[in-house]
Amino acid sequence: MLALTYDVGNIWLDSLLGVLALVALMTVSALMLIWLERKISARIQMRLGPMRVGPYGLLQTAADALKLIGKEDLRPKTANRWVFELAPFAVFVPTFAALVTIPFTRDWAIAFLDLGLFYVVAVTGLAFVGFLMAGWASDNKYALLGGMRAAAQLISYEVPMVVTLVAVAMVAGSLNLSEIVLFQNRIPLFVWQPLGFFIFIVAALAELERQPFDIPTAESEVVGGPFIEYSGIRWSMFFLASYTSLLIYSLLGSIVFLGGWEWPLGTEAGLWLQILLILVKTSLFIAFFMWVRFALVRLRIDQLMSYCWKVLIPLAFLQVFLNGLVLVYGWPDGFLLLTSGAGLALAMYIIYRAVDTEPRELRMVPARGGGSSAQAATVDATGSG
Amino acid sequence: MIGIFKSMYITFATMLRTPVTIEYPAKHRDVPQRDRAFPILLWDKEVDEPFCTGCHACERACPVECMTVTMKDNPLHADEKSTRRKIVDEFWIDYGRCMRCNICVEVCNFEAIAMNNTWAGHELSKFDRNDLVLDLQQLLSQHKQDKIDAWVAE
Amino acid sequence: MVQEHELEPETVDIGVNMGPQHPSTHGVFRMVLTIDGERVVDVEPHIGYMHRGAEKLSESMDYRAAIGFQDRTDYLAQFMNEQAYCMAVEELLELEVPERSEYIRVILCELNRVTSHLMFLGAFGIDLGYFGTSFTYGFRERERIQDIFEEVTGDRLMYAYFRPGGLAWDVPDNFVQMVRDVLPHTRQGLKDLDLLMTQNEIVAVRTKGIGAMSAEESINWGLSGPLLRAAGVDWDLRKDKPYSIYDRFDYDIPLGSHGDLFDRFLVRLEEARQSLCIVEQALDQLPDGPIMPEKMPRRLRGPEAEVYTAVEGARGEYGVYLVSKGGDKPYRLKMRSPSFCNLSALRDMTVGSYVADAVAILGSIDIVLGCVDR
Ligand code: SF4
Ligand code: SF4
Repeated sequence: MLALTYDVGNIWLDSLLGVLALVALMTVSALMLIWLERKISARIQMRLGPMRVGPYGLLQTAADALKLIGKEDLRPKTANRWVFELAPFAVFVPTFAALVTIPFTRDWAIAFLDLGLFYVVAVTGLAFVGFLMAGWASDNKYALLGGMRAAAQLISYEVPMVVTLVAVAMVAGSLNLSEIVLFQNRIPLFVWQPLGFFIFIVAALAELERQPFDIPTAESEVVGGPFIEYSGIRWSMFFLASYTSLLIYSLLGSIVFLGGWEWPLGTEAGLWLQILLILVKTSLFIAFFMWVRFALVRLRIDQLMSYCWKVLIPLAFLQVFLNGLVLVYGWPDGFLLLTSGAGLALAMYIIYRAVDTEPRELRMVPARGGGSSAQAATVDATGSG
Repeated sequence: MIGIFKSMYITFATMLRTPVTIEYPAKHRDVPQRDRAFPILLWDKEVDEPFCTGCHACERACPVECMTVTMKDNPLHADEKSTRRKIVDEFWIDYGRCMRCNICVEVCNFEAIAMNNTWAGHELSKFDRNDLVLDLQQLLSQHKQDKIDAWVAE
Repeated sequence: MVQEHELEPETVDIGVNMGPQHPSTHGVFRMVLTIDGERVVDVEPHIGYMHRGAEKLSESMDYRAAIGFQDRTDYLAQFMNEQAYCMAVEELLELEVPERSEYIRVILCELNRVTSHLMFLGAFGIDLGYFGTSFTYGFRERERIQDIFEEVTGDRLMYAYFRPGGLAWDVPDNFVQMVRDVLPHTRQGLKDLDLLMTQNEIVAVRTKGIGAMSAEESINWGLSGPLLRAAGVDWDLRKDKPYSIYDRFDYDIPLGSHGDLFDRFLVRLEEARQSLCIVEQALDQLPDGPIMPEKMPRRLRGPEAEVYTAVEGARGEYGVYLVSKGGDKPYRLKMRSPSFCNLSALRDMTVGSYVADAVAILGSIDIVLGCVDR
């Protein structure tokens, strides 16, 4: 099944080729994603975005990467040398390692693991160590605050994420990502488990540290958080890692919830169709994550934690419970759809109720001038704007 | 959730509108006629000499004291070519200090000084501060070469 | 043997130096936060990084030349500063401002209020965590209005357009049309910002009940402007002490009830809309005529007197206290800057909230450092 490396017999060469392919994929996709994000943000904000380097600024990020590589690798004098210098790797390696087991099509992956889902979740969960290291070793209070925030956030959002994925694994009966896709067959899982899908998206947003959960790196509060003292190549490693995780979570989401390389019109799609399908589904995720980033503001750290522990985790367990009922009693999938949908509605209602959304009325005190304003009376000054 | 959807909607709606920015150094928006960049001196084309008589009025009125003017007898007046008895000898304006307040233009009785209203007056970045001190020839050159359509109120 | 108190982890409060180079201190403001975890225990504001001696400079030059320095105090609401200064000089010299000039002044001042509030709405969104979206929405429309200002005055930021007695020069012929063309765009921009932020649940949790100040406290701290009105105090100099020709227009003063960040946001949003109403009415009534009084002295020489004039600036009461001992220069010129007075309440608003809130609260005061430090 290892289509990427099947023509070489030697196991070491096999792995080397696979790793090289992954590095290439990772770098190119990160460069493209950064460009895409800048373009999307520009369009949302009615700007042009990068336009100069290459057609439509396509090479802008490549130029930026070159600049970053050429920059001096600065380290604060009081920083803890080894921890400081190793932190980028501690963030970079887990994200890289997670990519190894993600299948891109039915028979394209570096390694098909039977515990693929478990492995991906476990490995990506390690990244918080890197943030903590960076925050602690920089000897900077902003970095410390950011590192602590990152640790708290990543650990707590790992829980609902894992629980929803457990719910998926329960019904699929496997932790193998390819088998989860095969299980979904024609109808992707998000139809049956909208609640799980919702929790997955929210938790993924938090794991990716994007708005509304970009608290660890909050630009206007802790000025980049753990990355504040980094520059040059080390900083770009953080950047690369963050965009690779964006790719990983999008791939994971499209495999687990959107049916990966399958689609409703038929199974056994050809290779090119498979690639196209997974590409489109992943792009949908990526576009959504980017769109959200520019449409929402940031939560506060206490609100973030209470939202996770008080809302998301109980609801995630609810999803597990529902799946269990369906499995044990053999109820039809429609039941799952109904109850999970109701759970989603509940989640939205909780957001609605927890927030004081009552529209506030301003008291309008009229300032009415007499004077020579004969025409003024005709002008409507009630300010419907 | 409604408000969140509204935010998503409005960001999507603006994504479909045309951008409002332009690629600046490649394209320039038009500066209005009244645009005030930095003061320049005007050139009297009929008699081939500056309008400025070196009367020091602007120098005295300038709030940041960034101008230096000296005056001399006008050689063209001796030849009966010009009606100006005195004329400017040296003129320096330190663009690094000027705060573009337009007061020098207002006090000048000879309409000899105007604010630069072209892009050349804005894009003045230099590596050395001293390059921002312009002398008489530099101040006159723009109008001399007809690069400027100076605007003076009233 | 482990003693009881050793089990309790000992925590220390750390001091975080926010500013003068920090993205959200709105200029070169520095606040030293003492934080306990994420809670703010103490705030100590440090100002003065941008002190340029605007008052002293204005005292050292004659009444006309000092106009340029008024712009440079509150550099987001320049016309109001010029207005306050010119009104002080006019009162001192007993100059009568022609009708047309008054109208043009009002139009420009109200447009200026809109630009200032757009700037606030944008920057406030950034403080709350927008990745630039609210900022560009605000700036997009602000630029259009600034194009008008540039068309009229020749400069985009430091206008130096008002003069004691009137205006430097008349507006261009197509001024009325130009403003009318821009108003729909501005309305659209305000609507965009409204849709983006007002009902957003996340904005609501971040702003409602945060940094609240009661009406009484606000008065005691000497707050003014939108901050005071958000607390529910009905005080607007345009209405309560009408200067210029503000008593000729119909508009509403929006008042909040809670005095928290959300009310401050709403009040400013509504105020910008009301300003557009005033602009529309003023455009309708704009008379023809001279822009300077007929008997305008060439040199402005003041009698021995003291005057205080105040305008409702974008941030509150902007006042100019002018003491003249004769001659063409003021003996003393004191600016009552709303940013400075509003900033004094920062500690009371902030202590006890979170670090993230501290940033938003500072943003909601809407300080301009040029005005705080002068
Ligand atoms: S514009 Fe103002 S500051 Fe500049 S030279 Fe003229 S008077 Fe001086
Ligand atoms: S520019 Fe005008 S005011 Fe200044 S010295 Fe020349 S003539 Fe006099």
